[in-house]
Amino acid sequence: MRTRLATVAAAAGVAVLAACSSPAPSGEASAASCTPAKGKVTLQYWNTVPGMDKVVDLWNQRHPDIQVETKNISNDQYGTLGNALKAGKAPDLAQVGYDELPNLRTQNAFVDASACKTATAAKSKFVPWTWSQTSFGGTGVFAMPQDTGPMALFVRRDLFEKYHVAIPTTWDAYASAAQKLHKADPGLAITFFDPNNAEWFNGLLWQNDAKMYGYSDDKWQVTVDSARSRQVAAYWQKLISGKLVRTDLANGSTQMYAAYQKDRIASYVGAAWGYSMFRDNLPKQAGKWSVVPMPTWGTDGASGDWGGSTVAFMKGGKHLYESVEFNTWLNTDPEALAMENKLGGLYPAASAGLRLPSLEKGVAYYGNEKIFDVFADSSKKIDTSFAWGPTQKTVNLALQDAMAKAAAGDGTLTDALSAAQHAALTSMKDQAIPVTAGK
Amino acid sequence: MTDTAARATSVVAPTRVRRRLRGGGPRAGTVAAFLTPFFLPFLLFYLVPVGYALWQSLRVVRRTGGQYGTSYTAFGGFEQYAQVLRNTEFWSSIGRIGLFGVVQVPVMLFVALVIALLLDTPLLKLKAFFRITAFMPYAVPGVIAAIMWSYLYSPQLSPVVDLLNGIGLKPDFLGPGAVLWSTANVSTWLWTGYNMLIMFSALQSIPQELYEAAKIDGASNWTIAWRVKVPIIAPSIVLTSVFSIIGTLQLYAEPAVLRQISSNISSTFTPNMLAYTVASGNNYQQAAAISVVIAVITFVLSFGFMRLTSKRAGL
Repeated sequence: MRTRLATVAAAAGVAVLAACSSPAPSGEASAASCTPAKGKVTLQYWNTVPGMDKVVDLWNQRHPDIQVETKNISNDQYGTLGNALKAGKAPDLAQVGYDELPNLRTQNAFVDASACKTATAAKSKFVPWTWSQTSFGGTGVFAMPQDTGPMALFVRRDLFEKYHVAIPTTWDAYASAAQKLHKADPGLAITFFDPNNAEWFNGLLWQNDAKMYGYSDDKWQVTVDSARSRQVAAYWQKLISGKLVRTDLANGSTQMYAAYQKDRIASYVGAAWGYSMFRDNLPKQAGKWSVVPMPTWGTDGASGDWGGSTVAFMKGGKHLYESVEFNTWLNTDPEALAMENKLGGLYPAASAGLRLPSLEKGVAYYGNEKIFDVFADSSKKIDTSFAWGPTQKTVNLALQDAMAKAAAGDGTLTDALSAAQHAALTSMKDQAIPVTAGK
Repeated sequence: MTDTAARATSVVAPTRVRRRLRGGGPRAGTVAAFLTPFFLPFLLFYLVPVGYALWQSLRVVRRTGGQYGTSYTAFGGFEQYAQVLRNTEFWSSIGRIGLFGVVQVPVMLFVALVIALLLDTPLLKLKAFFRITAFMPYAVPGVIAAIMWSYLYSPQLSPVVDLLNGIGLKPDFLGPGAVLWSTANVSTWLWTGYNMLIMFSALQSIPQELYEAAKIDGASNWTIAWRVKVPIIAPSIVLTSVFSIIGTLQLYAEPAVLRQISSNISSTFTPNMLAYTVASGNNYQQAAAISVVIAVITFVLSFGFMRLTSKRAGL
């Protein structure tokens, strides 16, 4: 009996050890080879887009030799991917947000598809900033851009007109408009600041050229807390302190729509994919909304991006050539883009996508304005050198926690930036990533 | 041990015979057959994960050069533990649920005890109805309960808030000071019935003769409740306290749901939320260390509480 117990214990020990042993370290793989397979190939594509299976059906009909299977992982996108990677069962292609690309790359999740000519040739087909994200500013091709969230200002034109306030084109004018609206109707706020939405705030930082990260001297340079980011933080802190913006609403929540429904908020700092939010949730406000360019900081009229994602080439995929063929079609073919826009509400990253018939028409809800012209223009003005960090999720959470404190009157948004800077440095050190505080 | 030897010693030492039977005799197979269904899952789903967490907590991430590099893990001793113990977020989450537990657990158990005693009096009618009603919230999954309460707390949607606004009150259930107690309220609502039922079943097992004896001695119902019933069910009260202490330290679902509507619940609000947040940033090693530290604190607190009360509770 004793020996049997010992055997069981030893077996368990071996199982534990086997589960924990880490692969021997090796340098990051260089570009994989790109040779077409002989015979029929089946690819796995994990995504988060509603209706994506229909787009893939179209491809499958036309390409009997490259069949694609889809799986919707929107429930826990990065958890599912992380686990699959750990288990060595990652799909050929997977949906990854721009801000999660560096994180997954530090986990060695991607293959460089630049050995495939189709992949490198696709560069010219995308809006420049999107390609710089998927190539990490280099020559590799780790993902194809899919959709984007160029930012713009959604305004309740009727409320601005009612109180004779001009629609602001600069952030200074936006702040004084906030004051005027509030004075005219103390129950009306120009917008809300959602402290639990770091992605949105990061979009504002991007617009002000407040780069969060750099890389030099063989080290990541963390500049989350910089003069430019502090300018954005101080601006919103002033609006919060003056009680000119609300801080009690979460983006996309029932409460948020209720506040808009009751005419309590006059504008929304949003992204292209958000055009359907108001249309679908506040049908009675049709004709009252307009989309105008983001208020600007300087004279260059730079814009920012909030959200959007890519389709990445995952490590472990065995059919790189076929993956590239499918991925390129999926994200540059006008027919595919039109379906993704219609079924999934995606705002394309491909230049051809911006000229889709559905995106050139006026939109009824917005008084037949050609709102997508505003977004297309915004996308062109997004800085191409902005980069995300390898522990972005952790940094975002730290930023949110501290922004929530600031919104509750404990500290300021500037403090939140220094908390996020600290979280970036600590979390990167924890991952053994060479890092220093940049200037 | 040979059979002859066993027979020889059996006369003088019967205990050794018993041990022999348990050890290697023909019944060992039967014993193993009965125990395997318990020990195999226990090993697979308890000991192995705990062992894995312990192992992980002793590892650190290393990386080979370049901007992105390739990571691997190496033995790091107690490095992760040192970081956890230095982490101010960790200690503030412990302090937060400490405060939560000190207030919520006694309140909840007191209410549970009162309901259990009321259900046990001969005075109350419709006992089955009240018993089920009091127990019902426990049948609601924690996440659902938290979603339900989040509607009652939400200033834009709640009829309760509207009502209070109507009489001139401006409650903010989700404000920075109040949100901890709003969470405590959800936990209390969920778990009171469960604790009540444990106490109530203990009350049911008290022989009626004791009450008759007490009545003959001139005890009122009130005296019987506090002087007879409560001391007798003290072991159950200790048990529910230990369960509640463990539950408090593992608090996750309720604050995680309320976080959706209140930015005043941070991603590190409770120790378990901190562990989850750290794990979601790929730092599984440190998340494992946090889990081990939470487990140790839970262990120390529950056994400490048991020791402290065991004499008085007659355990």
